[in-house]
Amino acid sequence: MGRYIIRRLLWALVLLVLVIALTFAIFYLLPSADPAQLRAGRNATAQNIADIRHNLGLDKPVYVQFWDYLKAVVLHFDLGYSYQSDASVKSLILDRLPATVSLAAGAIVIWMLVGIPVGVISAVRRRSLLDRAAMTVALIGVSVPVFWLGLVLLYLFAADIGKFPLLPGANTYVPLTSDPVKWLTSLIMPWFVLAASSAAVYARLLRGSLIETMQEDYIRTARAKGLLERTVVMRHGLRSALTPLVTVMGLDIGVLLGGALLTETVFNVPGIGRLNYEAIVHSDYPIIQGTVLVAAIFIILANIAVDIVYAFLDPRVRYS
Amino acid sequence: MPGTVRIALGVGVAVVLAAALAACGSSKTTTSGAATANSNPANANNGAGGKRGGILKVVTNEDAQHLDPGLAYFTIDYEYTYATQRPLFSYKPNDQTNPVADLAAGPPQISADNKTVTVHIRPGVHFSPPVNREVTTADVAYAIERGFNPHVANPYIGVYYGNVVGADKANGGPLAGIKTPDKYTIVFSLTKPTGGLLAAAFVLPVSAPVPKEYAQKFDAHTPSDYGNYQVATGPYKLQSDASGKVIGIGYQPGKHITLVRNPNWSAATDYRPAYLDGVDWSIGVPPEIAGRQALTGTHIVDGDTPTATIVKLAYQRYRSQIFFSPGSGNRYVALNTQVPPFNNVNLRKAVFAAMNRKQMGTVRGGLLVATPATHFIYPGLSGFEEAGGIAGPGYDFTTSPTGNMAVATAYMKKAGYPSGRYTGAKPLVVVGSTGAPADQDAQIVNQTLQNLGFQTNLKLVDQSVMYGTFCGTPKLKVNVCPNVAWGRDFADPQTVLAPTFEGSAITQTNNQNWPQLNDPAINAAMEKAKLLNGTAARAQAWGKIDDMVTATAAAVPWSWDNQANVYSKDTMCVNALYNTGPCDFSFSSLK
Repeated sequence: MGRYIIRRLLWALVLLVLVIALTFAIFYLLPSADPAQLRAGRNATAQNIADIRHNLGLDKPVYVQFWDYLKAVVLHFDLGYSYQSDASVKSLILDRLPATVSLAAGAIVIWMLVGIPVGVISAVRRRSLLDRAAMTVALIGVSVPVFWLGLVLLYLFAADIGKFPLLPGANTYVPLTSDPVKWLTSLIMPWFVLAASSAAVYARLLRGSLIETMQEDYIRTARAKGLLERTVVMRHGLRSALTPLVTVMGLDIGVLLGGALLTETVFNVPGIGRLNYEAIVHSDYPIIQGTVLVAAIFIILANIAVDIVYAFLDPRVRYS
Repeated sequence: MPGTVRIALGVGVAVVLAAALAACGSSKTTTSGAATANSNPANANNGAGGKRGGILKVVTNEDAQHLDPGLAYFTIDYEYTYATQRPLFSYKPNDQTNPVADLAAGPPQISADNKTVTVHIRPGVHFSPPVNREVTTADVAYAIERGFNPHVANPYIGVYYGNVVGADKANGGPLAGIKTPDKYTIVFSLTKPTGGLLAAAFVLPVSAPVPKEYAQKFDAHTPSDYGNYQVATGPYKLQSDASGKVIGIGYQPGKHITLVRNPNWSAATDYRPAYLDGVDWSIGVPPEIAGRQALTGTHIVDGDTPTATIVKLAYQRYRSQIFFSPGSGNRYVALNTQVPPFNNVNLRKAVFAAMNRKQMGTVRGGLLVATPATHFIYPGLSGFEEAGGIAGPGYDFTTSPTGNMAVATAYMKKAGYPSGRYTGAKPLVVVGSTGAPADQDAQIVNQTLQNLGFQTNLKLVDQSVMYGTFCGTPKLKVNVCPNVAWGRDFADPQTVLAPTFEGSAITQTNNQNWPQLNDPAINAAMEKAKLLNGTAARAQAWGKIDDMVTATAAAVPWSWDNQANVYSKDTMCVNALYNTGPCDFSFSSLK
């Protein structure tokens, strides 16, 4: 197992370099606004733009820019400086990370707490009214766009603009360290919005997986041994049925830690997703590169964690 | 190794998402403000009798573009810059035409030959901590000289200060044409008689003083990061630590701006009442939410352009909480005069005549936010009346705001198309902007062209790509740019006409003369008008030039914008007309 993890981590480094290279290539190959021109603004002369291009290091050959960036990242984990604000990208990302982690963690808890029980009940009571109702709600949850659901919740329940002012609305996020109660209440709506579609997906996924598992021979054996149905489902069926869920969850956690763009935007939670979006709008390449790199790191780590969890969930899985 | 594939897929998803977003870019909905109720500059609040104290909350979706007063050149930048910095002259919020002495002690003295401008500044103005000392004219000189520093790269410094002696070789060091005979006097010597324009340009933030001994270490960086460590001279300052560091404290990129009182500001030296204790500004609030928060909340102003939905809601239900700031810029359709077919003036006139300009304004929100334009100098600028006022110059192709196909057909025939329809085979390249309502305006233009027989290839791209990559790059030979717009730098009409219609303004990158108009008569008239001194003479000359530009039909003006601004009912918002109407922090107060 140890050697396996080391090998995976080494591969991860290769992948990260590839991600940097790909993001670099995308930035230079796809049509986007010239950051020097954007920074210069109207009335700027060609000399102004050339000066800014020089200041930002954009006048160097692409391969030199790439090499400089790679060197800085590898040797100092220096992600450069924002073209827009001159702020250090590393500090910007670290500043935004707690909000993204807060949002992701709460949403994951909610969707697991909702998705797993609903999936189990639907699988166990297949084709019952409860199953059909749960799956209909799940279908709606999957189909509703996040930004729409967010706006509707705000118009209904936000303390400032809602019809039934119950919860803090957009732009109310405070860090956990400054006020835990406000942190909690400000994130309730974003958590539910972010969790809605995932809970629905997980419920449907688990339902399918559990129905399939419950038809396996070892389940029949367990029942033949006279075990309680609850024990058969929870101890033997669910453990195996969770494997595909863990796979998806690994990817989801990685993606979420890279930023939940729409939820962060609707509720103005200052996380990495919004940072990335703003950077794209302003062609702020160092921030785009930094946020993509961070997202890639999270996805890679989450997937390694998933593979390790496999071994615990399914005794048949062995890594060499 | 099964995990590798998943990782690769995961990373791929992240990269593709970033790429897709990068390709999409942004779109900005801009609905501007009105011609009827609550839009008369004479009714604009002057802030008198405001209550002292309290924190004003500001919500915007947009972030600051430049903190550095030597670079600030954008509506949102001006909102905090004019509260924290004191240029030589500035506008009172309810008067967008007549500048008043700010740091200056009195009006500028322009020599008879229009080649020397002298300004005296007030004693007793101090920089905020950590600099603390009194402002002198050497600080004004340094502020302007650093504008030429390539590390700062001010975009307009060459346009307005380019005739200062030595400016042609300036790189941030002392300029021979700026002298400070004593610590309260500054004298500008010019190579050309353009003193009037230079004096008018003193309202721009680059003339706000910058202490050399403190700023030069930041200006040595590439790029300069003085903005992140700036000191203030106005009634407010960006919150900072003891060393003056603003970044991460008073300015959190994409998140927050915090203005606090400048402890070294003295009311005796300023015309601003400065009622507020500070400003708490949240960035990144979605426009729909920001507008609603301002309308229904407490002590909140929306510092952005409200969406059309918010404008409608405010106008219908919160009429006293919306102000339409007149004279907020113009919008027009640029027709490329350098390449066929629009190098034919009669074809351009046909397009002008056929265009339903009123409909284009309607999709932006109607008369409230878009007064149908008949020429380019817009209300609130000197030269507007001289250029024909609301009615315009009265050419047959300009008179009908809803379009006149009979006139258009006549011009098509004059252009050599007897059927009244264009018969050329090559499709026109039309590049517009994504995002409502710009995309709808582009569609109207596209349909008008097709109605005249043109085949078109319409591309809709992000606004920044439209300007930067397509319409601003002459070698791409874009035929029509339907979504271009311009706003003044200050109340002089030259700032609206010269960058956009003068032949010498055509550049191969970042071109802003979008029709690429290079008319010798117009160029000559501009050269002459630039040298005039006195508001009346300049208004007359530039009004005539506006008429000449309109006569070429190089562009079809269709809107004089009225920018909407919304705020809470318990906020006495004093709209800064010079800056398209957001609440002026130095004059607004809480009720």
